[in-house]
Amino acid sequence: MIEVGTLILMGVFAALAIHSSLIRLSVIYLAVFSLLAAFLYVLFAAPELAIAEAVIGSGLVTLLYLAALKRGHVYTIGVVTQDDRVPDSYVDRIERSSAIRVIRDFFIRREFETQIVFITVPTEQALVDPAYDLVLAEVGDDLVVYTDEESYVMVELELVFQLHDSMSQIKFIRYSPEAVL
Amino acid sequence: MSENVVSGESIIIRTVVGMLYPFMLLLGFYVIINGHYTPGGGFQGGSVLATLFVARYVVFPVDDTDSERLHTIQRVFLMLILVIPTALLFTGVVTRYPALRGPYLTLMDLLIGVQVGFGLGVAVLRFAFFQGVGKTWHL
Repeated sequence: MIEVGTLILMGVFAALAIHSSLIRLSVIYLAVFSLLAAFLYVLFAAPELAIAEAVIGSGLVTLLYLAALKRGHVYTIGVVTQDDRVPDSYVDRIERSSAIRVIRDFFIRREFETQIVFITVPTEQALVDPAYDLVLAEVGDDLVVYTDEESYVMVELELVFQLHDSMSQIKFIRYSPEAVL
Repeated sequence: MSENVVSGESIIIRTVVGMLYPFMLLLGFYVIINGHYTPGGGFQGGSVLATLFVARYVVFPVDDTDSERLHTIQRVFLMLILVIPTALLFTGVVTRYPALRGPYLTLMDLLIGVQVGFGLGVAVLRFAFFQGVGKTWHL
């Protein structure tokens, strides 16, 4: 009975790993899948395999995937906050805003991973920092997106925003890092 | 507070991994040494030892490990794994003294464990710090 339950759970996690939109989530689902496989090996009286599966499947391989992901195409979005502190409500509001959702969908369709970093430095300093590919800032009620002048992906992103009529409160400013300096 | 920075240097991770570190070392050697009698063995214990390198990488992702030296140690152990059984089996020591069988298997488990631990650890570290062909990769 418990074997059947474990097998069904493994199927569920395998499907989740395939169908999740974020690659980092898929890696975690795969780690859980490996852990369930290790448990199943114990149930089927193969403890040696279980140890190997637990250590390699959910330890080493997960880290290898994460390390590979780190050096792959991860777009870092820096959100400049006006305050020195970042309250949870602000994080929630930004992460649920339609602009972020459109940007995420845009990069997911191109198989890029996005991560959002909340920074408390001035906007100019964030613009010259090479760690951020895209800088978001709230100026009054408007959301301003600073994009690199030379990045062709950002041109496409701007076109996507122009197609959305509801996104009219979002401004795009193109800059070159040398000009800011 | 949702901090989306992938730095791996949060104080929770540092403290927990620091506390678990000696126990991981202990578990690795326990699995290796008792592999002859209980589940486990050289390969399993060796992979537990390899997670020590991984844990260090997660906490402190700086490339200051001399992976060439680790690789050399791994090659020495690999050579021992080939040489010792050959020498013992062809001289007939193990077959002549049955009491030596247990210690012999434990010794082999230990050699395999250390070899696998260093090998997997070096593989993971080199992958994580891979800078492009020609810099760290001369096998």
